[in-house]
Amino acid sequence: MSRSLILALAALTGSVTPSAAQLVVQGVRDLNFGPVLQGFAATVAPTDPIKSGQFYLRTPGIGTRVRIQFTLPTQLIGPGNARLAITFGANDGMAKGTAPSSVAAFFNPKATVIYRMVTSADANVWLGGRITPTANQPVGSYTNTVIMTVTVF
Amino acid sequence: MRFLTKVSAAAALSLSLATVSQAQTSGSINVNALVRQPITITNGQDLDFGVVLQGTPKTIAETAAAAGRFDATGTANANVNIDFTLPANLVNGANNLPIGSWTGCYNQSAATNSSGCTAIANMASTTATAFGNVAGAGRLWVFVGATVTPAAAQAVGSYTNTATLTLTYF
Repeated sequence: MSRSLILALAALTGSVTPSAAQLVVQGVRDLNFGPVLQGFAATVAPTDPIKSGQFYLRTPGIGTRVRIQFTLPTQLIGPGNARLAITFGANDGMAKGTAPSSVAAFFNPKATVIYRMVTSADANVWLGGRITPTANQPVGSYTNTVIMTVTVF
Repeated sequence: MRFLTKVSAAAALSLSLATVSQAQTSGSINVNALVRQPITITNGQDLDFGVVLQGTPKTIAETAAAAGRFDATGTANANVNIDFTLPANLVNGANNLPIGSWTGCYNQSAATNSSGCTAIANMASTTATAFGNVAGAGRLWVFVGATVTPAAAQAVGSYTNTATLTLTYF
């Protein structure tokens, strides 16, 4: 009895074991706020077709469960090591499969989210955010990195 | 019809079963921003045609002393787009005085249009340039000229309207 159970579990596990090669996560487009003014907050929505950040995700197949986690900065780094605060809101993450019938799902990028791929094996994930330059924020270019980690299980 | 389903608590069992067979991959993007100081634009000088005669067009070139001038400040060396909103008529009550053939130039180093003023090729479209760097300060001077065309029976009087300059960082 216990042997049968073990075999069944092994078969189940084997049937969904993903290969790292089958999982693809790519950064497609930077989250670009563009020019922003001292003293004026600026927001980019995940639906912004130009400024939002974008990742591409390909999973082993329909039915795959994925866990999505972001490593998000709290500051952008600028000239002379100046810091520019950046925050992410509850709906600043957006995921959508590539199938025509796919519908966008919004999520909080600060939290781990788990999805099951239903209509397509791949998807795009977009990211928005908000920066708040101070009135005397040093002018210049600011940047930092966002990492999206996807785990298939 | 959704493409993905947010997994509920019922997925916890599958999660524990798959713990030893996870595949994990990461991708990264950058977050970028360009901080600029707010732009200010002030009226440096009105475009003033002075006295014009009925039936006689009068032109003031963008390089003339009587040209209109906008004085702008911003971030030194920052890219900026120039756009105009220009009237087709000067107005005196119900009377219109046609104005057109707008011309313009910009100077990034001094408030003069007699030299170093770069012509604006098309006043109806966006012109890309940058603030100059004058002792560390971002400066830009924009000059405009035009032609008024009074009719032979143009009603006498004072005519006026507003020309607007819009500067946008890019």
